[in-house]
Amino acid sequence: MPRHFSGDYLLRAAERARRPDREHMQSLRRRVPYWFVVILLFGFAAVQIILNPFGFSDLTQRYTQDIADLLIDGPYLYPETGREQVSVALVDDASLRSLGMPWPWSYGAQARGLDALLAEKPRAVVVDVMFVDPRKDDTISELVDEIGRYRKAGVPLYLVGATDVPAGAPPLRRELLATGVRVLDPGILVNQGIVRQYPVSGSCLGAGARNRAPCLSLALAVYRDLYPQQPLAPLRGLMELVWGTRANPFNAKWMSVTDENGAVHACAEHQDIGWSARMWLAFFDPASVRSACPYTSVIPAESLIEGRDDADIARLAKNHIVFYGASLSGVQDRSFTPVNGLIASVFVHAMALDNLITFHGRPQQNVVTLGSLTLDNNTAQALAVLPIILILGWIHVRGLRRAGAARERGATLEYVLGKLLEKAWHWFAFALALAVGLALTVWAGLSVANWVQVVFVSVEFAALLLVGLPGAVWAYLHHVAVGIRQLEVVQKEQGA
Amino acid sequence: MRSWFAYAVLAGAMIAAPVLAEEDCASTQGDVAIAARTPQVDLYDAAMGRRVMTLDQDKFPACAPIVARAPNMMLEVDVNGTKYWVPPHMVKYRFAGNLPPVCRNLAMGSNDTKVGSTRGLGEGCPKPSGGK
Repeated sequence: MPRHFSGDYLLRAAERARRPDREHMQSLRRRVPYWFVVILLFGFAAVQIILNPFGFSDLTQRYTQDIADLLIDGPYLYPETGREQVSVALVDDASLRSLGMPWPWSYGAQARGLDALLAEKPRAVVVDVMFVDPRKDDTISELVDEIGRYRKAGVPLYLVGATDVPAGAPPLRRELLATGVRVLDPGILVNQGIVRQYPVSGSCLGAGARNRAPCLSLALAVYRDLYPQQPLAPLRGLMELVWGTRANPFNAKWMSVTDENGAVHACAEHQDIGWSARMWLAFFDPASVRSACPYTSVIPAESLIEGRDDADIARLAKNHIVFYGASLSGVQDRSFTPVNGLIASVFVHAMALDNLITFHGRPQQNVVTLGSLTLDNNTAQALAVLPIILILGWIHVRGLRRAGAARERGATLEYVLGKLLEKAWHWFAFALALAVGLALTVWAGLSVANWVQVVFVSVEFAALLLVGLPGAVWAYLHHVAVGIRQLEVVQKEQGA
Repeated sequence: MRSWFAYAVLAGAMIAAPVLAEEDCASTQGDVAIAARTPQVDLYDAAMGRRVMTLDQDKFPACAPIVARAPNMMLEVDVNGTKYWVPPHMVKYRFAGNLPPVCRNLAMGSNDTKVGSTRGLGEGCPKPSGGK
């Protein structure tokens, strides 16, 4: 056994671990190697990013995504490109009351609704109402004929199918399936009760769908069909939804919002908030910044069915991709969104398509794809944090090596300079991380939720380096393992 | 030359006026279905009934009087002496009165609450036999 691993050595090491020599450690702190700083900080980051202690990482990611939607993306950055091309024709409780038609409507009534939509010359129609139940309804032939009318008019029509039917059962009524109409999977994702992400793939439904496997999710399938000039990027992982907050001005014309005191407000009222007030409210009272009015333009079903000569309806439907859906109390097809609160799930599909149009088929994602290699967001963040560690660590080690005797300064000046340096150092780390994060968004399409941890961790690096943690750890370990042996050598040389 | 042009415009206007008036069914009193709006017009036996016939756009009579209007907005129209119900979006129509505006008042507070039941819960369920 080597001499330094002898029992005597271990006893001494244990003693040094218990009672370290402070002076010796102090001198060792300045000699911390660069590689040690890098490894220590990377290990610290990896624990936070990959191991997700106490779910902290997940919580901060999703909270940041919501705040970014309410504060920055929704009100200021997200363009209205998609909103100009997508509308929702909505059957709601007021529509049922106004038309005196109880839900569910007969297939014939649904056919009339779809025909009224076709009369407005839309670009495509996506029906987010499931026609799956084998109920006795002789008017199904009217719906079959309506599918034929869409085909004749050259307007793409998409139906949604059920994915949880028993094995061998069709995803929608056989009569409709037999028309060869495109059937899509209407599945959406709920993250901690809120819709923030959208699936990339879905079940293969409809005639011959199995041959087309793997199949895309609803919004992606519609986008791929209708926007061949801006092809869909090969997507893996999930889409990160960016929710617009500015309700379509057309919605504001016929919608108003009543608060808990019974006061009626215009839709735009909750959007005309200055950035400073918005920032305050988004952090401390997010509900007040949310808009009850939807971002996507809405066509009320009764206006459509009524066939009223309305320029607004014509403008919202003509050459638009129209989602035909329902928002009814007691029908569990509503989702909570970060910017609207509870809203009909048809708006989730509409927003996903809006994102795809706005980002030209390259939506924000939770993964980074480099050629054939796909990195999940944890790996991407761990890699993204590396250049920050290298830069901050290099500056830190360089500063330690250069540190000479402190110049004589007044105590106040020393204090102020120290504080200023401290702040500047933290802000530098923050800015560095922000730059890396924005680069990931711009070049790799990674959503803010998936790189925000880099920012948190980088500011922690700044704090750890400021207090000299890597040096202290190095000094302690070195002192315990090696320090005294060197002292013995020195003592021997000195003839002690 | 100028007077000839004025005469031509006047004559054109005199010829066109009755035609334009007829397009708006100005001579027909009350509510009227002016013409077909969609390539085909479906005719129903009742406001909530079944489709009994489909007419091509050019076969649908112009200026068909609207006899009644159902709550679901279907229009009862006299087509060649027989009364049918027509979906309003399929015809250009004119009402003597004003149509009510479409408005929505959204409750701000309801965004944070959800209905904790299912519409029509239990309808059509087979009733369990035996036991309690």
